[in-house]
Amino acid sequence: MPALTLAHVSKQFGHDTNQVTVLKDVNFEAEAGQVSLVIGPSGSGKSTFLTIAGGIQTPTAGEVHVQDQSLQQLAGKARDALRLNKIGFILQAYNLIPYLSVQDQFTLVDRVKPRGNLTAEQLANLLDQLGIANLTKQYPGELSGGQTQRVAIARALYQNPDIILADEPTAALDSDRVKVVGQLLHDLAKQHNKAIVVVTHDLRLQEFADKTYAIMDGRMTLA
Amino acid sequence: MFLALKEIRHEKLRYGLIVGMVVLVSYLVFVLSGLAYGLAQQNTQAIATWDAQKIAVTSDANDSLAQSLMTKQTANKVTLTKHEAYIGQAGVVAKAKGQPKLSAQFLGINRGEFIYRKLTVTSGHKPTTSRQILVDDSFKTNGYHLGDKVSLGATGGKFKIVGFTHNAKLSVAPVIYGTLVTWRTLSHVTSDFKAGGIVSNRSGFKPQTSDLKTLTMSQFINKLPGYSAQNTTFTFMIAFLMVIAMVVIAVFLYILTMQKLPNYAVLRAQGIPAKVLVTTTISQALILVVGGLVIGAALTAATVLVLPAGLPMSFNVPLLAGVTGGILLTGVLGALIPVRIILHVDPVSVIGG
Repeated sequence: MPALTLAHVSKQFGHDTNQVTVLKDVNFEAEAGQVSLVIGPSGSGKSTFLTIAGGIQTPTAGEVHVQDQSLQQLAGKARDALRLNKIGFILQAYNLIPYLSVQDQFTLVDRVKPRGNLTAEQLANLLDQLGIANLTKQYPGELSGGQTQRVAIARALYQNPDIILADEPTAALDSDRVKVVGQLLHDLAKQHNKAIVVVTHDLRLQEFADKTYAIMDGRMTLA
Repeated sequence: MFLALKEIRHEKLRYGLIVGMVVLVSYLVFVLSGLAYGLAQQNTQAIATWDAQKIAVTSDANDSLAQSLMTKQTANKVTLTKHEAYIGQAGVVAKAKGQPKLSAQFLGINRGEFIYRKLTVTSGHKPTTSRQILVDDSFKTNGYHLGDKVSLGATGGKFKIVGFTHNAKLSVAPVIYGTLVTWRTLSHVTSDFKAGGIVSNRSGFKPQTSDLKTLTMSQFINKLPGYSAQNTTFTFMIAFLMVIAMVVIAVFLYILTMQKLPNYAVLRAQGIPAKVLVTTTISQALILVVGGLVIGAALTAATVLVLPAGLPMSFNVPLLAGVTGGILLTGVLGALIPVRIILHVDPVSVIGG
């Protein structure tokens, strides 16, 4: 069974003459142990796809399943709980809480989700792997763009989710770091059986993907 | 609480300013409450020490003991028990050789009646003759001593201070206790007049004569010159201050919350329940307000220590608890206003662009 399924999903905004269709009959599957890349330019519907896949928005038509759970059948609190337990977000903007140190970003997750997160040893290995082990006492305002993005990746992974949804995770990184992050996402998918979905316009990530979808004007095709 | 404390610790200046504002508001409210209560007490301290329930004054006295003159004929219509006492009030200016003049309220009472028995003496003894007087402690702080010979006006001669008593003030003036004989002299009335009125410590006291009007002590106190107007003024000042404080705190918290919405949107996207964010906002407001109240209370205590002794400032626990509770409630109400915004924060706003 796919970890994440979107079947015939459409999304419209506005009414009557102002109606805009952002996603048109999208079909998508992400398997555990694979990196799925969704590539498209700005305004193609990538972000709407990501919010619907993560249960933040509901589609106008179609079905979204996380494993065997239909998101449409979940109320607000249950959907929050599903996001907290099953889905990790790596966001492009405002990734970290500015008044929490890097260590506290993880402590916050422990506070709301006491079980199922990475162990201290696993976290130390992850931080080491991302090259940010020495930054745990720093605040986001003291980090460079690349460091911030890597901490955001670590935070999403810390929840140990089955599915990771990443929004332009390499936007602020140089080519060397893109390779590190791409390899990390690839390794996570393989070694920890995670379903990783990356929306991006960064073609450098293609070499780490198992599947690549192209999205243009709301229509998604398997590349 | 975790997020609330972490944010306060990290944003010391921002939250320090809010705490500073709460400190100033609570300091002002505490000091004003202390002054209001202190002043109210100085109007009624002497009355409170009698532990009385009712007072009867003549019907034409407009509920004022100072204006009430009760004839012997009227007095004879009322049977007094051990629970009642005659009393007469006269405004006087006290003067002793080498001491400052003091405006005071002379209260004439009968030896052996319950008011006399209730008097507590801090030094000396209670008066036993019509030439002896017992005076409020404030005479002592103004330089008067036991044994001083005091004149109480143009007539009546000299009276010897034989004792001091604590908390004896009426209409914000120190009280001088003496006899009804002296009261008659100071009031320039003949022996046809028995007293100014009758005080009783029985709630059921009601003289059966139309010459006298019976008041409860709280009715009587509210009729003291300026008492109600002064209390109403203070109450309105404090109430307006609380309302303004609520608006200011609410505006501060609203602005802070608006600034934090992108962070809250990230947390909501990650599945952090809205309840956690609402709890954070309310607990943060409580921490700030409690912190401000504690510092405000400490500042008030420090102020009391350095204020001149004569300043009428006094505190009582129920009033302080009420004021503190009011400011706390103000803070929580202020924090509740942005809750609706937090509940509707849109996580979509932080995804992509």
